[in-house]
Formats: sequence, C-alpha cells, structure tokens
Amino acid sequence: MSAKYLLGIDLGTTNCVLSYVELDAEEPQIEMLKVEQLVAASTLEQRNALPSFLYLAPEHEAVSGALDMPWRQGRQYCVGEYARRQGAEMPERTVVAAKSWLCHSRVDRRQPLLPYGAPAEVDTVSPVTASQRYLEHLAACWNAAFPDAPICDQQVVLTVPASFDAAARELTREAATGVGFPSDLVLLEEPQAALYAWLAARGDAWRKDLTQGDRLLVCDVGGGTTDLTLIDVTEEEGELELRRLAVGEHLLVGGDNMDLTLAHRVAEMFADQGIKLDAWQSISLWHSCRDAKEVLLSADPPESHRVSVLGRGSKVIGGAVSVDVPRHMATDLLLQGFFPDCQLSDKPQRHRASGFQEIGLPFESDVAITRHLAAFLMAHASDTDEAAYPTHVLFNGGVFKADALRSLVLETLGRWSTEDYPVCELPGQRDLDFAVARGAAYYGWTKHQGGMRIRGGAARSYYVGVETAGLAIPGTPRPLRAMCVVPFGMEEGTESDVPSGEIGLVLGEPAHFRFFSSAVRPGDRPGDVLPQIDEEQLAETDSLEAVLDAGDNEQETYVPVRFQSRITELGVFELWCVSTCSDQRWKLEFSIREQSPDEAGA
Amino acid sequence: MHLEPTTAAVVNPSGSGPHQPQPVKRPLRGDVMRFFLAIQCFFRVLFDRRFADGLKKLTQAEPDVSPTESLPRTATTPSPSQRSDAIALLATLQREARFVDLVNESFEQYSDAQVGAATREVLTDCGKVLNRLFALKAVVDIAEGESLEVPSDYDTGRFRLTGDVSGQPPLTGKLMHAGWIATQCELPSWTGSSEAALVVAPAEVQVD
Repeated sequence: MSAKYLLGIDLGTTNCVLSYVELDAEEPQIEMLKVEQLVAASTLEQRNALPSFLYLAPEHEAVSGALDMPWRQGRQYCVGEYARRQGAEMPERTVVAAKSWLCHSRVDRRQPLLPYGAPAEVDTVSPVTASQRYLEHLAACWNAAFPDAPICDQQVVLTVPASFDAAARELTREAATGVGFPSDLVLLEEPQAALYAWLAARGDAWRKDLTQGDRLLVCDVGGGTTDLTLIDVTEEEGELELRRLAVGEHLLVGGDNMDLTLAHRVAEMFADQGIKLDAWQSISLWHSCRDAKEVLLSADPPESHRVSVLGRGSKVIGGAVSVDVPRHMATDLLLQGFFPDCQLSDKPQRHRASGFQEIGLPFESDVAITRHLAAFLMAHASDTDEAAYPTHVLFNGGVFKADALRSLVLETLGRWSTEDYPVCELPGQRDLDFAVARGAAYYGWTKHQGGMRIRGGAARSYYVGVETAGLAIPGTPRPLRAMCVVPFGMEEGTESDVPSGEIGLVLGEPAHFRFFSSAVRPGDRPGDVLPQIDEEQLAETDSLEAVLDAGDNEQETYVPVRFQSRITELGVFELWCVSTCSDQRWKLEFSIREQSPDEAGA
Repeated sequence: MHLEPTTAAVVNPSGSGPHQPQPVKRPLRGDVMRFFLAIQCFFRVLFDRRFADGLKKLTQAEPDVSPTESLPRTATTPSPSQRSDAIALLATLQREARFVDLVNESFEQYSDAQVGAATREVLTDCGKVLNRLFALKAVVDIAEGESLEVPSDYDTGRFRLTGDVSGQPPLTGKLMHAGWIATQCELPSWTGSSEAALVVAPAEVQVD
C-alpha cells in the first residue's frame, strides 16, 4: 500500500508532537494530530502534545483499568499528561527526560536504568524502551484516527537534536522501527526542522527575506536541552540555497532549569516566612514560576508578580500562600544566570575537579547559554573572520516566549559582531512550540515534491581510535590516535574509502574500536590522523565492533583491512572493514553498552 | 496548532476537533441504559427546544463510522461507562484549576487579599482549561459599543435584542456584549467504573 500521508514527529525531551500532511497535496496543509491520552485515572483527553513522561504504576492501580487506552487494556504504565502529573508526587515511578539518556554514551541505553535510582519494586525500563512507549502511543493514536492509513505504510520524518551523534540517532531509529514505524523513516535535525517550518510559513517570501551571504543562527532552547545550528545562504545557478554550516554540542540546559532556578529562589522566600512547601506544592510552584518568568521577562513587564501556591487540601484560600517576586530578582537570576553578558572569547566554565562523577545525566556545569553560544561561534571561525557571525536568528522553544530573552540574545550577538554584520530576527510569526513537528512534515512533503532543501550532510566528523605502534610500557595503555573516517558534511547516499595504512585484525575474535566525533573540525579529511585525542574537540561516543568470521580459508588468522564509510540515503551511518587481500568485508556495529576504559582499546 | 478555525465552526456535540476524524462513540452499557436514555430524550425533546434541534440534526446525519471498530479488541473488553459531560467539565476544572474547591470555600473568614491571591490562580487556570476545551471566541467580531446591523433572518440563538424591538429586522443597534461561542467542544471521556462516574475529584491519600 502506498503512503498517503507524511508524518512529522517531534520526539521531544518534554513533549512529543505529531503533525501530518497529505503527500500529494499541491499546497501543503500541515495539520496537528490531537493525541488522545490519559489526563487522570480513567480520563482520556485529546491534546496537541504528548508530554514525554512515563508512569510505572503499582499493580493495584493497573488492574482497576485506570490506565486503559481504547486500544489496550490492563496496561501497567501510561504516558502523557497523567504520567507528567504523577511524576510530581511519585518521581521514583516516573521516567523523565528519556531522550537525554538516549545520547548519554557512558551508560548502556538498552539496560533498565530508568527512573534513575528507582527502588527495587519498580519495574524499571531502558531509555530505548521509554522512547518506544512514547512513539508507540503516537502510532496507536494515529492508527485509531486513520484506520485506512496505518503508520507502517506512511512516510515518517522523525526529528532528533542536531547534536545527537551517530549512535544516538541509531538508537532513535531502532526505537521507532521496533514499534511499527516504517523502516524507511527519515531522521531530521530539529533546528533544520524549525527552519523548514519558517520556510513553510513564509512561502516564496523567504527569497526576499534572505540574500546570498546571510548566515542564520537557529537558537533552539527546549525544556531540557539547547541546540545551536548555523545555516548559510548561498547561491547556486542563480537560485538561493541553504547549507548547514555547523551544529553545536549537546547541551543539557534548557527552560526547565530556568523555571526550577526561579522556583528554588521563591521557595526560599516562602521559607523566610516560615512556610515549608511539600512535594506537591513544589511542583505547583514550578509551574507558577514558569508563568512568572514569562510575565516578568515580557516586553512590558510589571515591577513584580505575585506567585501563589494553593493549599494541598480542599481549602484553597485558607491553604494558599503567596509572595511577590520582584522583577529584578527574575532578571538577576535568569538573565544573569543563563544569559550573562560575556565576551566572544569567553569559554564555558568546566568543573572537572572531582575525580568521581555520578553516572546520572551529565548536566552542563556552566548554564550560561551565552557563553556556550560564544564558544560555538568561535569554534566555526573562518579564515577571514574571528568567529562565525550570524546575520539572522531563528528562535525556537518555549523559553523564547519571554521577550527579554530574545532581545538579550540579539543584543549580545550584535555586540559581538563587527559593524558589517547587523543581527536581526527572521521575520514572520513565531511558532515556538510546534515548529519542529510542522517543519518535519513540510520537509517530508518537499522531499516528496522535489522542493526546497537545506543541504547538510554529516553534522559531525567521525574518528576511529587507532593505537600507535611503539614499545609497550607495562601498565600504560598505548597512546591512542584518532583517524578521521567520516568528514564533516559527508552527504547522504555517498561512501568514502578511507586512505590509511593497513590495519591488522584477528579473525574469529571481536574487533573493537573506540569511536569519537567532533563538531568543531570541519577541515579533516578521511584518513587524516590526529596525533592525540583532545577532549575539548573530540567527544567519545559508543564504540564499534564486529566479529570477523574466518570465512573459507581457516588457515588465515589475521586479515589486513582498510575502512570504508557510508551514509545511506536515509542518513544511516555505516562503517565497514574491507579486507585488502580478498573481497571480504565486515560491518562494524555500535556496541551500546557500558564498558571500562581498559577493555575499550582497539 | 491553531485553535481558531477560520470560520465560526458549529459546536460538534460529539467532541471532535475541526480537522479530526469522528471520535469513538462509546456504547452504553446494555439495553437498560438505552431504555433510560430513550426516556430521558423523550422528555428533553418535549421541553428543551435546542436539544430537540440537536437531536434532529443527529438523526439526519450520516451514520457514524467508528474508527476503532476496525481495531482488534479482546472479547473481555469492558464497555466504558458513561459520565455526563457536566461532570467531565467539573472534574477538569477541579483537577487543573481547583475550581470546585474555591467555590465551596466560605469567603467570610478571609481578607480580600487572601481571597484575591487564591482566586487569581484558580481563575487563570480556569481560563486555560476553557480555552483549551472550547476555544471560545466572540460571536460578533467588532468592538463593544460600536453599531451593527442584525440581519432579517437572524438566529435568536446568536443575537439577543433589547431596547426598541418593535421594528422589522434588519435592525441596527449598539453592541452591548459581543457574546461567546465555542469553536470546539473537546471534553475528556471517562473509562472508569459507573460507580465513580459522578466523582468530581477522588479523595487523595498519601500512604506512609
């Protein structure tokens, strides 16, 4: 059965959104699927977004049928709004931010780790499984709404953060295809999706909004993550083209951090009055502080905003407590904390003093988004400019509903840039919450119809760790060098033979390679060897391995190989070991598991 | 998602969105329920003109094809209970805005400031709920105080005329209140027991 619809899915850290468009429509009419979900026990409602929360219920709650969905009875978990609400009072039974765990390469993402630190009686799940449950829910909603066009027969574009490395992308794909998504689903980077949504909304006007030589910064600050992307406007045969220049590192800092920071301070104000808030009230305070943030950082803010927390019992007035939050407190905490005035040359502060690092999520030690932004622009300096100065900014993410934050980013960029580069926001209406899903649908539609595309290719360059030859020193691992196997910008549907000396592999044993990626080394070519691994530039991701079967000739115990890298049309990364003395080849797979440093050597 | 459709959509009593396929129609539990419904309808048709009009539309409509009928269902699937829309709305307002708590509390013992602080929270959240469920907008899209013409075939459901109404429409007058109309009606549905169908908010117990 051929596909009738194109589905664009934003699998967000805190919310999932599904949009769709008819593939053969001449003018794309992008619609949002209303996602039916539990909002309370036994209560179903259709909402625009599915909160990315998973609640693992005790058995006595599940047997009552409280978590039944129209398509499934007797389930012992639920996702969506009810799960989000339950999370407030039962964090040990609620999975949050599964997506951030998906790209946390220091843990085995297929092991039941979540909720992190849950007591033994809770049936924990893996980050992959949690993501699957959100996707499965979206698929079931779709199938219920469109019984004649099941999701397995449709075309699907699923968005991932631009900063997701190849392993995290592969896990996302695995999660989706495991729950009935079509195997030819396409992954699209979220900041690009946001830009597609802008293109869809602007129509042909965008060619007037932008000119050759412009440079766009997509500044996407979601609930839990910050994702930066630079896109250049170039001209090809008289036509404007968009080409992605660079993507930023995966930054675990977002709007939720800001709301929590404010909530923490406001809780102290309550404490000063002798009022101690319980867990339920703290969550309610968190939500009130999100509203307070938007009010106090709006274009025309009041001097103060009253934050009230209602009582837990049925006496709402008697139990209510409130404080006035002055505007300067919000600006001090949020603007100076998350968007401090800084120089272009400032670097994010790293705290690596402690030798012991908990295995939990690697939250940013420096929450200053402006400093991360400065480092990002500096990392992509060209020969002529000291940094990659953008001319236009596209904001995405609910955080930027606060006017003050948008103007602050624009002002800061303006101050950094030279006079030749005035910085302005892209014109048109903002769609901060749903742009990614809408843009994904629009991208799929243009791909089908042969319209405008942002050219990108690989967002990072990739490296295999190769041991240096030399005398072994007992107790010391051999120094490791990194050989580039995928250059930055390598396009989909291409492959590359990596020129290198022969690498000897032992047959019948697993070959194991440490694997690295870099978002800041666009100049490296396949075969280039970096003499050492600079942690500032190269991030280690999941290692790669393959078991090399011996083949026909059992005499052979050792085979010389070279690498060949491929990126399929669907954007799937593959690395092959190709024998230099026969036509045998072996595909290396990600080994998504925990490992100690001493077993990770090649 | 843009909640506001371009035209003033007629409220869909079955609760589907403007671009959504028909939602699931939940069967009643057995013939007894149907019998009572029939009795209920008989009296409401007799005494409630708008209900009668709605019912008339319903009986003339195309047969509703339920999308879930094609989905596999286990034989043991309990048929969902009914909960009145009024309870569904109250439960939502209570869950998300503490509305029922507020109106049931005596204001006598509190200062205006105390009442104000709690009320501000509750009403803000009530507004969010109403906007999400009903996407309310003004019936007439002009500013109050301006003059407008009421057409000759005006719907008394949309316009309420006061003052000198002796003339024959079309009539011109000053807009005193722009009215409200729901552009959608998306109440939550209930799958719990019929015993709990009237529960607006469950008792909450924190286990030690």
